[in-house]
Amino acid sequence: MSATEDLADVERVLAGDTASFEGIVRRWQGPLVNMAFRFCNDRGRAEEMAQEAFLRAFRGLASWRRDAAFSTWLFALAANVYRSELKRIPMQSVSLDDIAELMDKRPHFSALEEADRSQIVRQAVLGLPEKYRDAVILYYFHEMDVPAAAQSLGLPEGTVKARLFRGREILRSKLPQLLGAAALREA
Amino acid sequence: MNSDFDEIVSQQDEIVPSSGFVASVMEAVQQETAAPAPIPFPWKRALPIFGAMLAGLVMLVAGIVELFRAPEAFVSAKTAAFSIGSVLSAADKSHTGWVALALGLAAFSIFFSLRFISGEK
Repeated sequence: MSATEDLADVERVLAGDTASFEGIVRRWQGPLVNMAFRFCNDRGRAEEMAQEAFLRAFRGLASWRRDAAFSTWLFALAANVYRSELKRIPMQSVSLDDIAELMDKRPHFSALEEADRSQIVRQAVLGLPEKYRDAVILYYFHEMDVPAAAQSLGLPEGTVKARLFRGREILRSKLPQLLGAAALREA
Repeated sequence: MNSDFDEIVSQQDEIVPSSGFVASVMEAVQQETAAPAPIPFPWKRALPIFGAMLAGLVMLVAGIVELFRAPEAFVSAKTAAFSIGSVLSAADKSHTGWVALALGLAAFSIFFSLRFISGEK
């Protein structure tokens, strides 16, 4: 349904009906803003980045080859925009070492509120080196779908898997207490 | 560990775009459409300049090559008694004139390129 609507809207926009682009924005605003939010953890900036992604999509609509789904093309374009934006203006993120140090200073970290814990893990993900961060973010954005993450990153699946593995390894070494305690509780 | 990690990272709160988001994007799109089309590069006017640049480059390279192939012109100029005549003679032997012409053409083309960029006529 959405694919048909996307195609119809794209055809109309390319034929000169700019207003038809609104349909595309309405359908994809949620996913694009949420993807941006995962990259920057800032709602206002996420909307700005998503707007830029839509503008780039509008400019480059003719370059969408129909052999891939519109969503695949749009997500890849958006991921590129977000990564460039973060390179241009890096977000204020806490380094992994700082997070680990903070955890060490809290003897009763197990009493951390669940929300705090999740927030720390997310901050830790954002503090990963860029290539691992992008792979981790897009993997979870695509609901743990490696091929989809690979398409958004424009990388082979094997590379994405390797980066995911390495990203997790880094997090495991930096946040052993936080991640280990939760695993123990589950066991 | 992975399942715990998966659980934490997957459960990221979904945010809802603000109510004015679509309007804001469409406004930006309309502005983009209304903006005048970018001025095409003046290939016709630039071609002679590119030609001159290329010719200048070729002459410069040829001059440098010549310089290395016939260094004796400089050696003799150094060892000989200093006189304007000997300098001119050495310069003539090493095709300094061509090199100077190439440099002049390059400077000329850069000057005109900068004028095109700045929009002056």
